[in-house]
Amino acid sequence: MALPLKYNFRNVIVRWRATLATILGIAMVVAVYVLVQALAVGLEKSASNTGDPRNVMIVRKGATAESSSQVSLAQLQTVRYWPQIAHDAQGVPFVSADVITLISQPRIDGRGEANVSVRGLTPIGLQLRPQVKLVTGRWFTPGKREVAISQKIARRFTSFHVGESFRTAGNTLTVVGEFDGSNSAFDSEIWMDADEARSLFDRQNYSSLLVRVTSPQAAQEIISRIEADKRLPLRAEAEVKYYGDQTATATPIRILGNFLATAMSIGAIFAAMNTMYASVGARTREIGTLRVLGFRRRSVLAGFIIEGALLAAIGGVLGCLLALPLHGYSTGTMSFNSFSETVFEFRITPWLAAKGIIFSVVVGIIGSLLPALRASRLPVIAALKSV
Amino acid sequence: MTLSTFIFKNALRNKRRALLSVSSVAASLFLLVTLQVALRELTLPVESAGAELRVCARNKVSLTNPLPARQRTIIEKIPGVEGVTPFTWFGGQFQNEGAMTFAQFAMDARETRRVFTDLKLTAAEQAAYESEKSSAIIGKISADKYHFKVGDHFTLDSTIYPGSLEFKIAGIFTGTADDRMMMFHQEYLDESIGTPGLVGMWWIKVKNADDMPIVIKTINDAFANTAAEVRAESERNFQLGFISMLGNIKTLIASISTVVVFTLVLVTASTMSMAVRERFRELAILKALGFRRRELFVFILAESFGLAVVGAVLGIGAAYCVYTFGNISQMTHGIFVSFEVTPHIMGLAALVAALLGIISAIAPSLAVARMSVVNGLKTLD
Repeated sequence: MALPLKYNFRNVIVRWRATLATILGIAMVVAVYVLVQALAVGLEKSASNTGDPRNVMIVRKGATAESSSQVSLAQLQTVRYWPQIAHDAQGVPFVSADVITLISQPRIDGRGEANVSVRGLTPIGLQLRPQVKLVTGRWFTPGKREVAISQKIARRFTSFHVGESFRTAGNTLTVVGEFDGSNSAFDSEIWMDADEARSLFDRQNYSSLLVRVTSPQAAQEIISRIEADKRLPLRAEAEVKYYGDQTATATPIRILGNFLATAMSIGAIFAAMNTMYASVGARTREIGTLRVLGFRRRSVLAGFIIEGALLAAIGGVLGCLLALPLHGYSTGTMSFNSFSETVFEFRITPWLAAKGIIFSVVVGIIGSLLPALRASRLPVIAALKSV
Repeated sequence: MTLSTFIFKNALRNKRRALLSVSSVAASLFLLVTLQVALRELTLPVESAGAELRVCARNKVSLTNPLPARQRTIIEKIPGVEGVTPFTWFGGQFQNEGAMTFAQFAMDARETRRVFTDLKLTAAEQAAYESEKSSAIIGKISADKYHFKVGDHFTLDSTIYPGSLEFKIAGIFTGTADDRMMMFHQEYLDESIGTPGLVGMWWIKVKNADDMPIVIKTINDAFANTAAEVRAESERNFQLGFISMLGNIKTLIASISTVVVFTLVLVTASTMSMAVRERFRELAILKALGFRRRELFVFILAESFGLAVVGAVLGIGAAYCVYTFGNISQMTHGIFVSFEVTPHIMGLAALVAALLGIISAIAPSLAVARMSVVNGLKTLD
């Protein structure tokens, strides 16, 4: 089947003035779709980026967030000497008992306060999280009221930079360092000494335990041992899996993105139809000529649908380009899971950009279907006679 | 033929185009109204009756840090305070149901009526609730969702406290700003976890609104420099603070609305210029007949304005009907409750439509104004 493809392609270029508005309209729709989905991807990435495959996380059974979990000193002592847990060069077991508290602090833009997670941890805890790297200053000194803060969180709150200090729980904490969590959940945290955190926030218990195991098999053994032991009201999970399950926060954003895309694309389809109908109407004589030259009805139909799809694809690519500058831009919202500020980046993955373009092509095809049908059904003689 | 029929006939002579333009305006305005309503609901909590007389007191460190139960007697003695109840988040979930169900708070059953004056419960239900420690009252929205009746039993696993609790529904209430939550006895929770002497926060009713600032200050001062410092504020401020934690969501929705409006202008303006280009020759004839530029502009403006207004009526009307008569809490799985389309939002959308009609008429009118009659008559399509 011969297609008048060249004719259709050149039309998009020659009549750019008439099609520009449609292309831009589709570009806007795709840009909004890609950006909102990029937020969801960013949130999910920060959850799935977190954790070390050699670690196992232990929290209270039934707790959905670390901040509402409790692990007692007795439970820590029970778990600490299990043979499945790896030891460092000095023979100290790789067990980090952390305390998580939320503190309410003023935002830098003056728009009220937000909760930030404070993690109290030991030097072992730092070793167990190699993806977190100090960028400026130094780590906190055990026994002192010092904190190190993620760079990304530091940017969003007042007095969170090195050298500054803030008040909470009747005490002053000094910021001595800033770290980078390599786009993990730790990018939303303040870190300090575990025992200092327990005394400061008046906590008897720890919130969670993070342990390094000797082998993947040992990890499985710990998980089943805790599951089987009814005296331990705890739950163990691979650290990677624990954080990987925290992606539920992204669901409302995904729903919002899909709703917007649907509603906007309806408007865009109408607009594309309008343009294509006008385009077919203005080219009645040309279509007649094509038919006289021997192009069949279905070729004309296919040609016009491809023209619509091409038009929309240009819009789609433009939309992705419009969205691209926001890639890597960090933003934050309250996670309903941890109940605290979660920072994450817009992440435009190649797959997401491809989805945006596919989406635009679908809009183009639907929008040009009826006009193309009309073009293919034009009676040849009448079309040639039209002015 | 009068001028108005002329304009009317012109607008409808390409019925398909008129229909498509109206539909695209309607779809976009529907979206705009939806976004604005969502934004309003996220940023402005529903004003509840009696809120101007309520004070919320939380731990100064953050909402999630508990307060000592012994603070209650001190708060009760503050002049101007009429009632105090603990307000402790239980975080309960139905077994095997992962997502959040509805909020449950442990409170003082007797004080509840005094603090939440807007809560409507029959006297018999209130008496039943007060007399039995394991009983609970639940808002009508949640009761409908889970088909709860008075007398039903159910168990919730807490995500905050160890173990689970079994509740019996003593009553179903209405009238509060959020008829989804469940309230039960603080004592029942305390007994199950060994009475640690802690509560989530305090909700306080003051006698009259003038006392509010003094009561707030007195509460804050009373616990300054103690182990558990308190942040007391009006219920309104507390809710606004809660919302400010949502962070950049507001900016996100506001910028999407802007993009929607921009796209709308672009598409409609292009349709309008298409319509005018098509009848360049006729407009040239009108000019030759002696119609002035001003009059031609009015023709084009009236047509574009008319299309925008019809689109607006359809789009805004559809949004109003869907969100007013549809069950929005069911559609969004309880994320949004009221989703009220306010006159303000409808006015805003109508204003956008009106401006759209005017802006879309400008470019084609300029083209017509500039064209010479001779060239216009020569135009073929």
